[in-house]
Amino acid sequence: MARLIALRILQAAPVIVIVSILAFLLINLLPGDPAVVIAGDQASPEAIEAVRHNLGLDRPLIEQLGIWFVHLAHGNFGASLVLNQSVLSAMGERLPVTLSLAGLSIAITLPIGIFAGAIAAYYRQTWIDSFVMTVALIGVSVPAFWIAILSVILFSVILRWFPTSGYVEFSHDPGLWLRSLVLPAVMLSLFQIGFLARMTRSAMLDVLSQDFIRTARSKGLSEWTTVGKHAFRNALILIITAIGILLSTAIGGSVVIEQVFALPGVGRLVVQGILARDYPLVQGVMLIYGFAFVAINLAVDLLYTFADPRVRYD
Amino acid sequence: MATLGRRDFSRGALAIGALAWLPMNSGSALAQAKKGGALAYATVSGPGTLDPHVSSSLVELEVIHNVFEGLVALDGQNATKPMLAAKATPSADSKAYTFELRRGVKFHNGDELTSADVQASLERYQRVSPNASALADVERYEAPDPYTLIIHLKVPNYVLLDAMKGPIFPFMILPASQKDKPARSVDVIGTGPFSLGEWVKDSHLVIKRFDGYAPDMSSPGRDGYAGRKTAYLDSVLYRFIPEATTRIAALQTGEVQLASTIPTELRAQVEQRPELAIREVFPLGGSYIIVNSQHGPTANVLIRRAIGAAIDINEIIDATGGINKPNPWMSFPGTPYYLGDAAPTPWYDVKSADKAKELLKQAGYNNEKIIIETNSNYQWMRTTMLVVAEQLKQAGMNVDVQVVDWTTNAAHMQQGSGDWNLSTTLFGPEHILGPSPWRPLIYAFSSIKGDDALDAAYKEFFAGADLEKRRAAWLKIQQIVLGDAHMIKIADSGRLSGYAKKLKAQSDYAGILQLWDIYLE
Repeated sequence: MARLIALRILQAAPVIVIVSILAFLLINLLPGDPAVVIAGDQASPEAIEAVRHNLGLDRPLIEQLGIWFVHLAHGNFGASLVLNQSVLSAMGERLPVTLSLAGLSIAITLPIGIFAGAIAAYYRQTWIDSFVMTVALIGVSVPAFWIAILSVILFSVILRWFPTSGYVEFSHDPGLWLRSLVLPAVMLSLFQIGFLARMTRSAMLDVLSQDFIRTARSKGLSEWTTVGKHAFRNALILIITAIGILLSTAIGGSVVIEQVFALPGVGRLVVQGILARDYPLVQGVMLIYGFAFVAINLAVDLLYTFADPRVRYD
Repeated sequence: MATLGRRDFSRGALAIGALAWLPMNSGSALAQAKKGGALAYATVSGPGTLDPHVSSSLVELEVIHNVFEGLVALDGQNATKPMLAAKATPSADSKAYTFELRRGVKFHNGDELTSADVQASLERYQRVSPNASALADVERYEAPDPYTLIIHLKVPNYVLLDAMKGPIFPFMILPASQKDKPARSVDVIGTGPFSLGEWVKDSHLVIKRFDGYAPDMSSPGRDGYAGRKTAYLDSVLYRFIPEATTRIAALQTGEVQLASTIPTELRAQVEQRPELAIREVFPLGGSYIIVNSQHGPTANVLIRRAIGAAIDINEIIDATGGINKPNPWMSFPGTPYYLGDAAPTPWYDVKSADKAKELLKQAGYNNEKIIIETNSNYQWMRTTMLVVAEQLKQAGMNVDVQVVDWTTNAAHMQQGSGDWNLSTTLFGPEHILGPSPWRPLIYAFSSIKGDDALDAAYKEFFAGADLEKRRAAWLKIQQIVLGDAHMIKIADSGRLSGYAKKLKAQSDYAGILQLWDIYLE
């Protein structure tokens, strides 16, 4: 196992390098100029040029890339051009919000999505299957932005169950923390539940039609043991893959939800960074996201070995 | 992000006008005002910095103007009024200005304001502010005693005080200890009626009443950004809620008592509640079509005039909705530089395709492509340019509309870069302050170069020892900028705020919310 982890970390290195180069190039190739944003609208061309020089933006792109890599090698992700703080510090302030949101959303998604998918597969081609799949289809089809706004009107304005927006830190009040996140997390999980239910159904249908399931039933095993133990375990590989994808989309999908619910998370940070052409901030966040996705993929690979003993990386 | 700058004033921000500044319920306000209470205010986004010397965005200024103060300020009649200064006196030749400071003014850290703080602040302003050119004529500072500062100038400057009252890149006074702090890195210590409490980036910000505040007792009451300021509220919580529907929801549930920038199409959602109301903040800016004077067909003045002749202002206003009123000038009614009926405005709202065609013929227009650049961020800008495109097509022009993001669009206009001929934006406080702050914008946005007549008119303006001479110069400037269609004025614009009726005596003179003198019933 240790060998696998070491190998995957080594394999991840070129991925991270490519991600960092792409992050650098994508944001730097965008039209627009952070010096203009920082200098302000009344700034003279000389003032804008002075800002550009102070920030090192007048250097050749390849030189800026080299400097960034040197800083990264020293663990320095750079400093935001507009926030007056380091990228890591800015991320550190906002990461708990996004992780709380994504974590809660996954916690809601997993039991509901897997259960709904499994039930739909077990009762395939019945009204239960049709109902679950219709709801799942709605979940993956409805725009998150639209449903989130509707949820605010219903659950916050009309029913007054939840606050309309904002975030309360866990350390400040765990109850209020949960209350501030329930609605955004449920909205974020709608798509995920639909996606996971459809993936689980598909995986379970494949397994349920195989010979060993028929054998298990003919041996007189209970339906619970047959489906819950043998079938589900064999479907787990696909489900774990789906969960890995969901973790990634939960982080990415939080951008819209954070915007609607005014949550001060990483998603909003990135959006503002892009709008302000805050190069170091966007590069740094994209790179950290790259690390996160690599880590998620590694975790998924490791989980395969637990889910299916036939999977070996030796 | 925030850092949207003057752009943040777009359709959402800077309000002004001789009538607009009057606080609501002002007649009974003083009689009923009471101390206490916490106001929650939902605003579109949070500040990136609270360094006043580099701040130009509304979300920053709405905090800064309640925390910091300058030597002079814009009063309710659009004039300059002393604020931290007890008196501001120009010399006979306008080559020196003497500021006598009010005594007993305290910073939020408890230190008393002295001329050393003022000198350090102005020197820092010259070092870090994008607006430092406003102090380009300064030869030296002299502080003969702790309560007097003299600014000595190299040449006469008749508009120095006008420049120093500007609400954007405000000339706020910081403790002398902040002198060497880099841009965007100051400690938030001012002399204003509120001091900074908690600030969680992208989430919220709290300012608290400063009980050591020294009001200007020489004034009977509030007066624009100047006058006697009284802080009634214990604290104000700014909540940064980018989504308009969520801001309205927060207002409806009572989580906030004030919400900025309510879209016109959603105003009924606020007004249907008996405890809530909508306030029209008007005018807060002027919308313009920017014409690239150096690029392609629009380098030809006849083609620019043809474009101006084809524009139907009311069609644009009808299409964009919102709070808009036609005004051909680059100053708001009621401000010192507003020219009203003083001269004809043949460039405005001509709406004649025939005249446009005639001008195109004179220009030798040969169906060259006219590129309109707009953006995906601001719907009103996009709608404006789509209407303009149709109007130009009807006049026989070959038009291509391109959409980019606002940051790109703004950078292209400000730097004259990119491949575009027409775009649009909204300018704010220049409509109050007049030609001086307009100058860099006029030259930059339209990429005007080598216009001797414009250069001469501006020279005339700065040499004008009295207001009438400066107004005459301003007329010439507008006749060039608007008459030659470097810019095409659309309208004066406002925005809507939603509020709980228990919030009394609001004022957001010049579009920036003022939190002194308002109270919760």
